[in-house]
Amino acid sequence: MQLITLVAAAALAPAAPQVVLTSHIAVERSVPGTAGKPVITYQEPRQVTPGDRLGFTLDYANRSARAAQNFVVTNPVPQGVAFVGDASPGALVSVDGGKSFGELAELKVRNAGDSLRRAVAADVTHIRWTFERPIAPGEHGELRFEAVVK
Amino acid sequence: MDRKKLGAGVSLAALALGVASPADAAGTTAGSTIVNNVTVDYKVGGIAQNQLSASNSLVVDRKVNMTVAEVGNSTTTVSPGQTAAVTTLTVTNSSNATLDFGLVASNRSGGAAAHGGTDNFDVSNVKVYVDTNGNGSYDAGTDQQVDYLDQVAADAIVTVFVVADVPLGRSTGDVAGVRLTATAADGSTAGSQGATLTQTVGANSAAMDTVFADTAAGGNVAGDGIGFAEDDYTVLGANVTATKTSRVISDPISGTANPKAVPGASIEYCIAVANGSGSAAASNVVVTDLLPTQTTYDSSFGIKLNGTVTGATCNADGVAGGTFSSNAVSGTISSVAAGDTRTVVFRVTVN
Repeated sequence: MQLITLVAAAALAPAAPQVVLTSHIAVERSVPGTAGKPVITYQEPRQVTPGDRLGFTLDYANRSARAAQNFVVTNPVPQGVAFVGDASPGALVSVDGGKSFGELAELKVRNAGDSLRRAVAADVTHIRWTFERPIAPGEHGELRFEAVVK
Repeated sequence: MDRKKLGAGVSLAALALGVASPADAAGTTAGSTIVNNVTVDYKVGGIAQNQLSASNSLVVDRKVNMTVAEVGNSTTTVSPGQTAAVTTLTVTNSSNATLDFGLVASNRSGGAAAHGGTDNFDVSNVKVYVDTNGNGSYDAGTDQQVDYLDQVAADAIVTVFVVADVPLGRSTGDVAGVRLTATAADGSTAGSQGATLTQTVGANSAAMDTVFADTAAGGNVAGDGIGFAEDDYTVLGANVTATKTSRVISDPISGTANPKAVPGASIEYCIAVANGSGSAAASNVVVTDLLPTQTTYDSSFGIKLNGTVTGATCNADGVAGGTFSSNAVSGTISSVAAGDTRTVVFRVTVN
């Protein structure tokens, strides 16, 4: 009779590299450039006040060994800022709290008096990028959008 | 390589409805945190993976801006000697935070006044009142005297009155300019004036910093956390002159034909009070005239007040009034309008 001892082996594999996200907020500042012409630069947020223009960036990198499919990046527009319409190509926006997305030019908003008007950038509540093509292993990129502090 | 080829298949119905929300003019409240949360959903091998997320936040700093403005676009017209003369101004807090504002009212020293004219005198007993009952006009006893505005909310407008006394001895056209200065102060504590604000220097801190965004509009200094505006008082006085004339009415020998001023003659005196054009009306004008010793008051004719003149002639259209005592005629003309002349007329007999 053989004793068969079953040992549940918890295979502790090293943590597999994944898709990595790094996000940033920068403030747009105008600094004097060469020949006295002001130059727009993006700086670490410093004394940010209403009216300042912010750049929100997301760097993504697929550090895994497998393609990342159906990659969807969703960014709600934060409280206290208004989207100004500058977003990386392929962005679709929502003006109804994220229920539906489309091109800004095609969206409509209901006024207080119940009439409809074209949506404007300041109405945007969410921004979304949906990648049709998988992100290959090792592939990386950056998405960004701009908003003004209300 | 185009990393992000997104197809039209992703867009949904053209009609997506949302409701626009208006923002305060002053902006997001200072000290608020802007939090950005990004989420990523994806699949590997057709299997949905755990959602990824990333987040950043920053604190909105305090942007200080205010406007002091005079109300009404015109001077306050005053009489010499007038007390508690009021000029009205507003203080608007266009910062993104509730602030206190220290208030100081001061006299201008010469130069062009706010509404034309040159400042050439000072008003006295200058005080600042807040429009406590919010009705836009100064109500003595109700509106509170203040030296600061307590906890003015972002975007709020407060009406303030500068109240002062006008000295006697000023003439029509004299101008006293006054300036109301509002200094931004911390507004965290109700009922007591907060510390005057200073700008945060150096790098952004994790806490709320303070930035002065006030402009140089209206002659102000930009970025000093102080706003001011000027208003003025212009004097409109009365320009009163009195002229006394007399004519012989009759004498015992000639009667009324070319009478002479001989003993027994009746003499009529007319004191004409003239007020220059462009003046304020002169009211309660008291005229007193001591009769010469060689004459006797004609009590049957009496004293006629408020008569008019035609050229150099005093018309006989005055109304009985006034008093005679201690050999003096006294009468009060209730009002002499600008450009008008009114008279006190009485008669005496030459002794």
